[in-house]
Amino acid sequence: MVSEPIVYASLGVGLSVFLSVIGASIGISISAPAIAGAGTERPEIVSKSLIATILAEAIAIYGLVVGLLSIFRLTSLTPADTDIAFRIFSGGLIMGIAAVAAGIGIGTSGSALASATAEKPELFSRAVVPLILAEALAIYAFVAALLLVI
Amino acid sequence: MLRDTVVHLLRDNYTEAKVRGKKRFLLERQQLQSLTEFKSQAEVIGFLADSPYGAELSKLPDSASAAEAERTVSQSLARTVENIEASAKGNVRQFIIEYRRRYDARNLARLLVFKLQGRPWEEYVSTRSPLGTLSEKQLRKLYNIENSRDLIEEMADQTLEGRLENMQLESPSPDKTALIRDIIVGWGDERFYAYASNKLTGRDRTICIPIIGSAIDLGNISIILRGKLMGLADIRSHLVPVYWKLDAKTLESLLTAEDIQQTLDRISAHRYYRRILAGSRQKYDETKSLAFMEVLAREHFAKLSHEIFLGIPYNIGVILAFLVLKDNEARNLSAVISGINAGLLPEQIRPLLAA
Repeated sequence: MVSEPIVYASLGVGLSVFLSVIGASIGISISAPAIAGAGTERPEIVSKSLIATILAEAIAIYGLVVGLLSIFRLTSLTPADTDIAFRIFSGGLIMGIAAVAAGIGIGTSGSALASATAEKPELFSRAVVPLILAEALAIYAFVAALLLVI
Repeated sequence: MLRDTVVHLLRDNYTEAKVRGKKRFLLERQQLQSLTEFKSQAEVIGFLADSPYGAELSKLPDSASAAEAERTVSQSLARTVENIEASAKGNVRQFIIEYRRRYDARNLARLLVFKLQGRPWEEYVSTRSPLGTLSEKQLRKLYNIENSRDLIEEMADQTLEGRLENMQLESPSPDKTALIRDIIVGWGDERFYAYASNKLTGRDRTICIPIIGSAIDLGNISIILRGKLMGLADIRSHLVPVYWKLDAKTLESLLTAEDIQQTLDRISAHRYYRRILAGSRQKYDETKSLAFMEVLAREHFAKLSHEIFLGIPYNIGVILAFLVLKDNEARNLSAVISGINAGLLPEQIRPLLAA
């Protein structure tokens, strides 16, 4: 039955995990080639530039945490808990969409960071700021999702 | 436009990051200036030991001639471009191949000039650019053609044949040699312009055309100036019929100018080219040579290339900009090496550098 609260809650779990993984994948797949390309010319910047892929991976972890916390609540869900089910669904949706957006931001700014650092290594400390700001987008959604599902 | 950006972001960011990493190792203006202060070629090679040229230059014996050192610089340039080409995909790779075909035109121009001057194949093959796509075997085949008209027919298309049709090719003077070179190089630039106009889209096209288009315009200006210098009656037939910023009116006024000085005055008043060619008349009056045109053109291309690097990333312009800067650097180094070997003073070498 589509109207069952458990269905919406499960969908929320799925969205949170699936979209977060997609977001992380976007972030890594855009930034990693640039890091590798920059590394062929300046191997010493690879370890610093890897921060982009680490931050992208963190997005998947946020989605997984929201998903796991939601699963713990699923076990105690009754047919009357419609509001809780929608909160879990909303939490998963918020986390998932924000993860995709943050993944794009991290991917593009991580790629630019690698390119810029390859050209001028002294730019790293300033060029890393957009990357952190992109990551913050996912953190905002993570906090909101946690407040919804807990 | 968005589609192009996304494609470059997803497909070409490896190559672009690689190119930016290579750009880091380009010689700065200050370094180039200080190279002119060295007294010998060995000192220059020592200075370049830590540069991308170091690996190749260090293999040269101490007794290496200027031509050998220049050839090594040229080989290093070719290796860099081939390295970028190997990492590129799709239209970026094709773009680099088309860029390399410009060097085919330069090689063909040099081949024709060598044939006309009766110089040996061995000398030609040691000075040809390794960046061209034509193999040594293909060039040898062309070199073996006795008649210069047959050679042009074999090596090029009807477009170039038409541009060289009214020209007496036998026993060319240095000015005529330079004119022949300009015409053939212009033909190569025309092919590249046609590729960029027809195949590139959006931001890629917008960013690349100023460099490629102004190369054709400046080539045409150079042909007009050489034509005036030689007193040619029909200069128009030698021009590339593609104009970027040179409109028909300006072109007409250049063609109808009475002498080279008036031509330089007129082009110095052009809304776009005045910033590039300002003071060119004075330079001509001082040197009585058009060699400064090549330096001014390279300075212009280098300036445009630096601007591309400062702009929005994820476009093919970044690749072109690097190729232009790397080519410029190789030419600057060749100028320094040949200048030092010729015993020129730093003040005499510096005007030959475009930084």
